[in-house]
Amino acid sequence: MKNIFQLPWQVPFGEISFKVDPLSLLFLICIFILVACSGIYAAGYLQPYKGKKPLGAHIFFYCLLVLALVVIVTANNVILFLGAWETMSIAVYFLIIFDDEQASVRRAGFLYLAMAHCGTFLLFIMFFLLSHAAGSMNFDLISRVNLSPVLAGTVFILALFGFGVKAGFLPVHIWLPHAHPAAPAHVSALLSGVAIKIGIYGICRVLWMVGVFPDWCGYMLLMTGVVSGIMGVLYALGQHELKQLLAYHSIENIGIIALGLGVGLLGRSYALPLLATIGFAGGLLHVLNHSIFKGLLFLGAGSVIQKTHTGQLDQLGGLAKSMPITSALFLVGALAICGLPLFNGFISEFIIFFGLFQGLLTLPLAGMVACVLGILFLALMGALALACFTKVYGTVFLGKLRKELVLSIRREASPLMIAPMLVLAGLCIWIGFVPKYAVNLVILAGEYLSHVAASSINFSGILVSLSMVNNGFFIFLVLVLFLIFLRRHLLKKTPVLVISRLETWSCGFSQVTSRFQYTSSSFAHSILDFVKNILFLRRHGGRVKGDFPLPTQMHSLVRDAAEDFVFRPLFSRLAILSKKIDDGRIRYTQIYLMYIFLFLIFLLVWKMR
Amino acid sequence: MLIGIFLILIHWLFVFLLAPLFVGLVVKVKAFFAGKKGPSVFQPYFDLVKLSRKQCIYSQTTSWVFRAAPVVALASVFVVSLEIPLGILKAPLQFSGDILLLAYLLALSRFFMIASALDTGLSLEGAGASREAFFSCLSELALFMNFITLACLTQSISLSEMIGVNILIPWNLDPVLLLVVASFFIVLLAENCRIPVDDPDTHLELTMIHEVMILDHSGVDLAYMHYASAVKLFLFSGILVMILIIPFQTGNPVKDMLIFLTGMLGLAVLVGVIESSMARLRLNRVRNLLLIAFALAFFGFVITIWRG
Repeated sequence: MKNIFQLPWQVPFGEISFKVDPLSLLFLICIFILVACSGIYAAGYLQPYKGKKPLGAHIFFYCLLVLALVVIVTANNVILFLGAWETMSIAVYFLIIFDDEQASVRRAGFLYLAMAHCGTFLLFIMFFLLSHAAGSMNFDLISRVNLSPVLAGTVFILALFGFGVKAGFLPVHIWLPHAHPAAPAHVSALLSGVAIKIGIYGICRVLWMVGVFPDWCGYMLLMTGVVSGIMGVLYALGQHELKQLLAYHSIENIGIIALGLGVGLLGRSYALPLLATIGFAGGLLHVLNHSIFKGLLFLGAGSVIQKTHTGQLDQLGGLAKSMPITSALFLVGALAICGLPLFNGFISEFIIFFGLFQGLLTLPLAGMVACVLGILFLALMGALALACFTKVYGTVFLGKLRKELVLSIRREASPLMIAPMLVLAGLCIWIGFVPKYAVNLVILAGEYLSHVAASSINFSGILVSLSMVNNGFFIFLVLVLFLIFLRRHLLKKTPVLVISRLETWSCGFSQVTSRFQYTSSSFAHSILDFVKNILFLRRHGGRVKGDFPLPTQMHSLVRDAAEDFVFRPLFSRLAILSKKIDDGRIRYTQIYLMYIFLFLIFLLVWKMR
Repeated sequence: MLIGIFLILIHWLFVFLLAPLFVGLVVKVKAFFAGKKGPSVFQPYFDLVKLSRKQCIYSQTTSWVFRAAPVVALASVFVVSLEIPLGILKAPLQFSGDILLLAYLLALSRFFMIASALDTGLSLEGAGASREAFFSCLSELALFMNFITLACLTQSISLSEMIGVNILIPWNLDPVLLLVVASFFIVLLAENCRIPVDDPDTHLELTMIHEVMILDHSGVDLAYMHYASAVKLFLFSGILVMILIIPFQTGNPVKDMLIFLTGMLGLAVLVGVIESSMARLRLNRVRNLLLIAFALAFFGFVITIWRG
């Protein structure tokens, strides 16, 4: 193959072998776009830290992370891949603990590191199985062997959990909502935009390497997507902190991506190349789109937090007036992440929906039911995401400031921070209006993943639909311009256009304060209350007692079931167990020397045999 | 190209002219049931003209999002109208998957409506926005279940085919179509904020959804909002009537158009009768109603599958 770059390497089984195929190409584009934008943003964001923190180390790990990411997506050898994988994990750890004087940040970093290594452990087993079957550590050679269904299924499960930890599938997502808020904004953007996508890359790479998976793998991937997506957005709706909310939203979007890939895998299992390619293409386009708009949203959140020194939604408000550009760009990101028309999110969700409907009409009964679930939950995710982002946008940028904050500078964020957001918002609109290039790219990657010869499938159906969608967008734009013009015209005729310096009319009540506003918690409450049994919603206080009630306090909390009911008890049991083992052991050095000696003898005997 | 633009303009003209009339008819029916003479059926037109001549007043709390919402709402329903066949007027913008553009354009206008309500900084409008966000989740679910059932029935995902010629099975008492029609009718009432989900007549009550969200809009902005909701009601009714009139198609364009208009008139009367004879549901019952709509469509899907 011509696009392979190879060098010898002293490491056993290792070789420096890089390959750029359509799959790597897509992820490389994501990486480069976001790394550049976050890097420029960091220059502005880190200004206040100059001289107070060792920025050199931070920038070093940033660059190391970029190197590791690029090596991961181009590596063509297991050892090289895993080496870069570990480098990435460690670089990310040091990037997360930037504010390491706070205990919560150190804990979030450690949780990340622990989870990442649990995942890597599974990856070691998975790659061992694959390389053992192929007799080689080279990805190309591994992809040529045929695995037995049992082995393929085992590899799939290991990949789903091993890479899933990085990607943030439920229930192994628990590091994500802690790490993202702890990290500085540009790192969160990179984490959410690229680092978790590397988990998706890993799954795609395995899907590519193992040509035939048992049927249930497709269903499992689809269901993982559905569960992660719906729970991610519901958790997001229950959050009170801006970056934590965005982090849970990443879980939702990872779910949408997995949904697309699941459709693709089902199509591949049932030998429907068109369905397979559309599913994979939709999932992969969402990878690109999500890294753009989620990067944009995290950068916007960073600007807000830097100016106001808080990310608590119920303390913010009315920032559209003091930060008009940031708020407009954040709006673009919010509309795009809800999958609304005119922006890139719609294009990828359209393709995934298209794939699901296609599956509905072509798959056998079990596949049909899976597709129905997929369609319904994707629609529900869209509606919930809309609720979630109207909540965020409405409470942070619209209305009035809820709490008098000491705004460091009541001014827009610095140009260095606005420019990269402008680029990302531009990309959201560009892919929305000119989806051709991005769609061609992902269709190429989709064909590559579905193992069909390029140009053997007829994509005219989806391409025609996309061009019609595009027509719809342009008609919409023309109409908007016309309506704005008409509005101007009509307002010119009225005697005077009075924009009074008045508060919102509240039925004659004149002492309107900012506390009259609906808070984000009350906005989300009707939905959360409906699903309170799934979410373990806890409310404390808030009951009014007596005829002349005293001031009371209320706070609500959504508990993450995976964290509070699975991993926390599990880890605490493990800690108790290891303590017991630790207590019971004999504390003589000689004993350990004897253990080593016995092990060496065992090895000798084993080798001599 | 030119013909395409011409067809789009004809379609828009049709919707533009008839949508307020539909609302006027509903009001007239309600007046009849209340034993009143009621305003003329053309009153909505007069209201719109009156509003568009008035000046706009803005609270100082609001930002540009508040001003953008009416424009986006009206523009999105007009683009949606292009995807819906109305009588003999074929949908100018039909393609595989146009149902998704339809649902998401409505969501776009909903986003801006909710944002503009939150922009006023008043808890009344916040409450309306919160309810809108919640109920739209459930009605979206019911809407997509209807789409799924119709897609299975017609092997197509283009609205024009799903509610038109592709329904080949005999209509008469077909359980699937009956279920879909019943379910879609509930979605229609909920999405357009009619009784029993929401009361379009009163303005200043805490129990409102749509009306309370546009409480602070005035002048031409309010006219846009009213127009958008009239068009939305007209379009949802159009979809329902198109399914209902399939067995009465004659092939003669004039007769077919008359049948369609009669159907629309009948639906307006039905909505009016429901509004006159029922009270609004308690808010925590609305979700049950929407889940019933979902369940009806789901049964339709099960029957379709079972029939093979």
